[in-house]
This record gives sequence, C-alpha cells and structure tokens, in this order.
Amino acid sequence: MEPGAISLRASGRGRRRLLVNRVAEGTAVLAAVLAIVVLAIVIWSVGSRGIGAINLDFFVKGPSSDFFGGDGGIAPALVGSLLLVGVATLIALPTGVLTAIFVSEFASVSIGRQIRLWLDVLNGFPSIVIGIFVFTLAVKTKVPVLGIGHHQSAVAGGFALAVIMLPLVARSTMEVLRLVPNHLREASYALGVSKWQTVLRVVLPTSFGGILTGTTLAVARAAGETAPLLFTCAIAGQIVDWNPTHSVQSIPLTIYLDSESADPALHQQAWAAAFVLILFVLVTSLTARLLLERSRKKLGLQR
Amino acid sequence: MLARVEAVSIPAGTLPRTRKVGDRIGDGLLYGLTALAAILGVLVVLAIIWRVADGAWPAIKIFKLGFLWHNVWNVNLNGGTFGARDLIIGTVVTSFGAMLLSAPISIAIGLFLSELASPAVRAPIGTLIDMLAAVPSVVIGLWGIYVLAPFDANHVAPGIHAVLGWIPIFGGDPHTESTVFTAIIVLTIMTIPITSSICRELFIGVPSELEEGSIGLGATRWEMVKTVVVPSVRGGVVAAIILGLGRALGEAIAVTQVIGNFIPMERSLFGSGDTMASRLANQYQGASTDRQIAALIYLALVLLVITFVTNFAAQRIVKRFEFQRTGGA
Amino acid sequence: MTKRFSILIAAVAAVLLAATAAGAKSTDTTITGAGSTFVQPLVAAWTPAIGKAFGYSVQYSGVGSGAGIAAITANQVDFGASDAPLNTAQQSACPDCIQIPWALSATAVAYNVPGAPAHINLDGTTISKIFLGTISNWNDPAISALNKGANLPDLKITPVFRSDGSGTSYNFTDYLSSVNATWKTKIGTSTQPAFPAGQGAKGSSGVAGLISRTNGSIGYVDVAYAIKNHIKFAAVRNKAGKFLFPSLRRIEAAATAYTTVPANNELHIVNPPKSAALAYPISTYTYIIVHKKSAHAPELRKMIFWALTQGQGSQFAAKLTFAKLSTNKKVLVAAEKTLKQIQGV
Repeated sequence: MEPGAISLRASGRGRRRLLVNRVAEGTAVLAAVLAIVVLAIVIWSVGSRGIGAINLDFFVKGPSSDFFGGDGGIAPALVGSLLLVGVATLIALPTGVLTAIFVSEFASVSIGRQIRLWLDVLNGFPSIVIGIFVFTLAVKTKVPVLGIGHHQSAVAGGFALAVIMLPLVARSTMEVLRLVPNHLREASYALGVSKWQTVLRVVLPTSFGGILTGTTLAVARAAGETAPLLFTCAIAGQIVDWNPTHSVQSIPLTIYLDSESADPALHQQAWAAAFVLILFVLVTSLTARLLLERSRKKLGLQR
Repeated sequence: MLARVEAVSIPAGTLPRTRKVGDRIGDGLLYGLTALAAILGVLVVLAIIWRVADGAWPAIKIFKLGFLWHNVWNVNLNGGTFGARDLIIGTVVTSFGAMLLSAPISIAIGLFLSELASPAVRAPIGTLIDMLAAVPSVVIGLWGIYVLAPFDANHVAPGIHAVLGWIPIFGGDPHTESTVFTAIIVLTIMTIPITSSICRELFIGVPSELEEGSIGLGATRWEMVKTVVVPSVRGGVVAAIILGLGRALGEAIAVTQVIGNFIPMERSLFGSGDTMASRLANQYQGASTDRQIAALIYLALVLLVITFVTNFAAQRIVKRFEFQRTGGA
Repeated sequence: MTKRFSILIAAVAAVLLAATAAGAKSTDTTITGAGSTFVQPLVAAWTPAIGKAFGYSVQYSGVGSGAGIAAITANQVDFGASDAPLNTAQQSACPDCIQIPWALSATAVAYNVPGAPAHINLDGTTISKIFLGTISNWNDPAISALNKGANLPDLKITPVFRSDGSGTSYNFTDYLSSVNATWKTKIGTSTQPAFPAGQGAKGSSGVAGLISRTNGSIGYVDVAYAIKNHIKFAAVRNKAGKFLFPSLRRIEAAATAYTTVPANNELHIVNPPKSAALAYPISTYTYIIVHKKSAHAPELRKMIFWALTQGQGSQFAAKLTFAKLSTNKKVLVAAEKTLKQIQGV
C-alpha cells in the first residue's frame, strides 16, 4: 500500500478521522495501563497476603512436623533454591559465555547464525520437557552421567535449570560482545597481542557488565522455574540440606505444593514464599537492567 | 570514543610483542574450549530430542499416529490405552485463546511505547511490562487460583455467559472456579510481555522518514500506524505472536494450577480441561506402568514437535524479516 | 574489571565449596522415603521420635503413592510408601521389593455443599454414580432417598479426584469396584483411574483444597485431611446396611473382619462382609515398600519395627485417625515376619 494514499484523499471527513485517531490512541494507552494494572494487582495480592507470614522464623525454620498446625518456615527451600541456582549458574555461565565468544570471535557468519538458531530452539523448548529429559538422562538411567548416581539431586535439578539458562546467557553475551567496538580488538592486535589475550583482557572486561546483566536475568528466570524440578529434585526431606548430591526443597516447588492445599496456614506460607521469590526476581531483573544501561553508556553506545 | 579506548587499553610493556608458542597454545586452547561449549549447546538440543524420542518409542510402536486422535486415556483399559486428542485440543484451545487476547493487546502496547509515549514515560513503562514477564509462572498460578479464578467465576463468567451463552463455548453450566477460561487468561498475562516487547522493537525499527512522510502528508497518527508502521513490519508482528504462542503451548505449572485437570474436555470454556504439559506435570512422576511412562513421553514428544515447529517458523520469519529490513534500508 | 570478574568467580566458587563441605560433614544416618500423602502426617509425627530413639534423620517426601513406588523401584530412596499394593507390573519391575503394612486408616468421602447438614448419608452405588457423572445434582432423588428430611440444594455436583498417582484413588476405586459392576468394568481399580467426570488435584492436600474451594464438590481424602481442614464427610453405608462415619472403632471393625494375610501382604478390607456390622467400608492398610537388599537394612529394620509397635501409640496414630496395626494380630505378625527379609547388601 502506498503510504500517502489515504491522507491525500482525506479532506471532508477530518472530524471523524481525528475521532478515530483518538479512539485508537486511547486503546493503545489503555492496553499499556491494563498490563501495568495486572502487574500491580499481582504484586499487591502477593505482597499483602504474604507479608504477614514473614518473620525471622519463616527464614530459619523448616516446615512444622505437627500436622494440625504449628508455624513452619521455608529455610530448607531457601537453601535448596540457592544450591539449585548456584549449580545451574556454575554450569550455564561458563558454557554460555564460551559459546558466545566462539560465535563472536571465531565462527564464520553462517556458523554463528546456525548456533544462534539452535540456541533459540533450545530456548523455545517447554521447561517440563527439559525436566523429563534430565530425568531420563541423569535420574532414571543407571548411567551416572553427572557422577552422582541415579537419584534426584540438586545437581540434577541444577543441570535442568542450566539447560534453561544456557540460551539466555549465551544469547545476551553474544549481544554485548557484538557491541564491543571492533577498533578495540584491532588496537589490541596492532599491539601484537594474541587473540586469546585480547579476548581475556580486552573483550571480556569491556563486556563484563553486559555478561553480568544477562546472567542475572537468567538467574532470575531459573530461580522461579518449577517444571524442570518436578522430576529431578522433588523428593526432598524437611530439613536444611547443603549437600548438592541430595535432593533438596526449593521455593517454586514449595509454592506449587502449598498453593493447592486447603490449609490457610500453608496458603499464607505459599504467599509469603511467593513474595520472597517475586521480590528476588524483580530486584535482580531491575538491577540487571540498570547495569545494562550503565555498561552501554560506558561503551558510549546506544542500541 | 577514542578516550574510551584508552580507558581499557593494555598497559604498555606488559604484553609480549611477538607471537610466542604460549600464544599459539593459548589461541588453540581458547578456540577449542569455546568451540566445545558451542557444540555442547547444539548437543543438548539433539540429546533432548533423542532422549524424548527414545523414551516415547515403545508407545509409538503400540499406538502409532492414532495416539494423536484417540481420546481415551486409561491406565486400566487393555493394559493401558492412551490417546492424546483431548490433551492436544486443550493445549491448542488454551494457547490460541490466549493468543487471540494477547495479540491485540500486545500490538497496542507496542504501538503505545513506540509511537505515543514520550521518551520519559517509555522507559519506565517498558520496564514495568518486562517485569510482568519476570514474575515466575508458579506465582501467577498461585494468584490465578485465589484471585483470578474466583473473580472470573463470580464476575466475568456469569456476564459473558448471560450475553453470549448461546454460543456453545460460552454455554454449559458454569459451576466451578477451575476453568479453561481462567487458564486462557493466565496464559494471556504470561504472553503479553513477550509479544509486546518484540512488537515495540519492531515498531521502533520502522524508519522515521516513512512515518514523518506520512504525517507530513496529513495522515493522523492512527492512519500512519495503519498504513505505514504495521504493514512494514507485518511479518515480524506475526512472528512475535507466534513466539508468545510457543511460551503458552509449553506452560505446565500455571495451567495445571487453574485448569481442573480433567478430560474429556467440556465444550464450554467455563468447564474444566487439561493440556499436554499439565498432564505431564501431574502424572509423569507417579506413572504406574512402563507403557504409561512411554505414553507420557510420547505426549512430551508431541509437545516438543509442536513447540519446535512454531518456534522454528517464528525464528525464520523474524530472520527473513530482519534481512529484508536491513537489506532494504 | 578483570580483577572484579575473578573476584566474583572466586566468591561463587568459595561459597559452593563451603556449601559442599558443610553438607559432607553431616554424619548421622539419613533415611529417605517418598510416596503416599495419606500416611504423610503420620510419618511426620514419627520423625522426631525416631530421631530421638535411634538418631536417624528420616526425610520423607509426600509425592503420592505412585511416585513413591517409582522412586523405590529406581532406588532413589531408602523406602517407598503406598496405600496401594504393588501391582503385577510394579512387582516385576522391582522383583526384590517387599511391602509391609505399617498403618491402618480410612478414606473419607468429603463434600462441600453450602447449607447441607453435617450428616449426609451415602451408599456405594450412589457414590459410584456420582463419580461416573450419572448423578450430577445434589437434589437428585437417589441422594434424597438416603437423606430423608435433609434439604439438599439444587446444585451441580463437582466430583474431585486425585490427578497424580495415588493410593487413596486405589482404595476408593477398589471400594467402588466392589459395589458397582459398571464401575468395575468401566473404570476399575487403579492409582490413576480415568474418571469420567469432575476435576483433579494433586496430593491429599490438593484434593482437600479443591473441595474446600468448590461449591457442590465431593471428593475422597484420608480422614485426617478432612478433619484438619474442617471439611464435612459423609456417613457411608456398609454391607450390613448401617451408615457409618470413619472413626477408629469403625476402621478396627473392618480390619478384624479378615483372618488371612496373603504371602505378599496384599490386603483388601474395603466393603467387608455383613458380619462386620460396624465396619466403615472404605478402610485401608497402607504399606512401606523396601528392597530386600538395602544399604540401610539394619536402620530400616529398626525404624519399621518401631513404627509397627511404638509408632502405633495413640500420641501418634489415634490423633490422626490411624487405627492400631495390632487390631488384627495376624497382620502385625505377618508384617514383623516380612521385616526380617530385609538384608544388607
């Protein structure tokens, strides 16, 4: 369609056109307001229902062993989530960053595009299928793939989360590595510095902020994932367990299980755990974004 | 820019000026390591497909493609009879329903952020909407059970039912809080930030000369959007919607929390239903026979293929579109 | 910048190392178990006492009976717990698995009907028709006939069932199969029955939750969960024609109606004969499932023996509406005998 076709014809219907324009603009504003209102309602619901249950005990105690009541806490889940995300980061961060370095520094354009495509495909896989994958690979089979035997564990769960984090870390790192100005690399080569030194001393430090951002966003995503843990790290005791070869509790699973119960005390625990989780996720993502802005400004670049 | 270069420059004299053996090893090592990592990413994708296909194989042998259109899911019948039809329908209905709602809203948000909002408003509102994407699905599900579902059941469903009850999908006898309808709303909320942020990027990418030209010719902003902005990135918008769809197809937790976990699916959206991902979340861990496990993994395979195809298609459209845009500009 | 990066990595590594070290330090015996949510409250009550008695740390996870059997079969835990006995497929998947009855309770038929009386009578036929979807309103004549004088509303019935693999589902469908031939042929007895009507929820607590949130709902859940969450449950008619609530005495009456224990300990005490006039008809034993060869054999033997004896004490069991296993001496003897089969690797 020719861009100017309509506007040239328009003459007598000016009032109507303006009205339509108003309505359209109003709709767009309304849509944005709607999304923000939904976010506000979610945060408010979680906050107002959860905050009442948050006290010191909530963070340092385990679930109560008395079926008919007694206040419990989510300490095992907090520690478990920390372990899970720690393991996931330990796997996904180096793999993701190295993948990105390969694509930006070594690979040809077509191979780079291929790898990006595969990562996007991985990113699109349903997380529950990734959970089943890790279950059949590391939990069910007797092949001790991860060196931990065939049972559920924080390592298995962390591995599943790492599969989810990997494309996020790799893709975001690729983006920042692309932002590193080529003349930095060239200047380094001109000084006779080898490629690996250039990557380690010039490219990576320059993009440090961006990598941190990408990782933080991926951590925020992984911390809230439930489905991959259902089959890989769900059979867990009620105590704080720092051993990553054991199966541990986690915050998302705690919320999931408590959410369906009939017990008001467990509901409140679910809301409180959700509040902690949402706070963590929102604060980390916001910080990550601010970091990204800062590192972009530092590079003197705008997207 | 040059000043910045100095800020990260290499201290003179600390680095060797000639290519040494160490450097060659270093280069090789770095190349090897990074290539290994890149291959690992690809391998994971292949491994997932292999493990899932392998696990599904016993069920594929028994049920063949009929699995897709048979609707009985019964562990007891003839040693286990499994058909995915109603679960596939449940997945398709919930995700396409969510897409129908989220697509217009997301496009409108994208337009607001790219065309209407002043730069001062744009950044914070964009960030807030992105925050919606960061809320974990289990939290949305929890909220879905206790806030959204009662609201739907008490206020939204009766209203729609009263007006549109003659259409079968809004008909039936609304009697419960766990409904397909609520699942659709939950998925809508989860897909809006994905689709809208891609739309925003697309619309911002439309060359401003085109927009200014249109305005200069006397078009209103709406006409400019309708005739210039949206048509020039139509493919991208479609891809953005499909990417949102991909997310909705695979969501297990938030859906299982609100949908009621029941097949055969009722005809009305105000009844209960179930989806493939939700059934996996419910039954995989406690499956009682090998055949049931295989059938569930077959289900995972179907889900994998569907999400793979949708995402792949969307990526291809985005790529082609990016190529056209950069090639044409 | 480089420095900051390495410091960060070092910090992460240090934290993880410290965490691993802290985990490795724990030396007390940990016994892990998974399965039935039905027995979960009882195991939770036992845990501190077992810790005190033997110094074992019992880590039990209520993931459902089906998942519990899968977990013990795959050696993911030291013991599984299930309210359903192992079926043929499961037994052949885990040939050295033995099941030991270790607790005795009942499944309540719980409902949430605003305005309904605290006492509703139901019989097996009616319950099965409700779950088949053929009775779908609370004012159905079949229900009114059992509840003369009660004013039941015109309200759609929403049956609530377990969406995961569940021994409670097994117990419930075992009962329905014994009272209704249509049920037996159409649905059968299963941990994951294909219910033709209603809504599913995960775990006993999920079912209790869904019932309490859904007007007009009816579901099955072990008595303790119904009591804890103040959900009403029905009096169910037994073969002798009496409408009875699940209580310790009614469960005991069901347990004493049987005199033989099969070699594999598979016990069915649903719908007991007329002679057990005071028996609640949906009672069940629940089992602990272990490998004959277990790395934790001595600990398991001690723990299970404790559960079979002291664990049946009223401070644990009766409070949660679990009847004493010694109600039927033969079952206790069989359980203790089976216990001896657990050997070290």
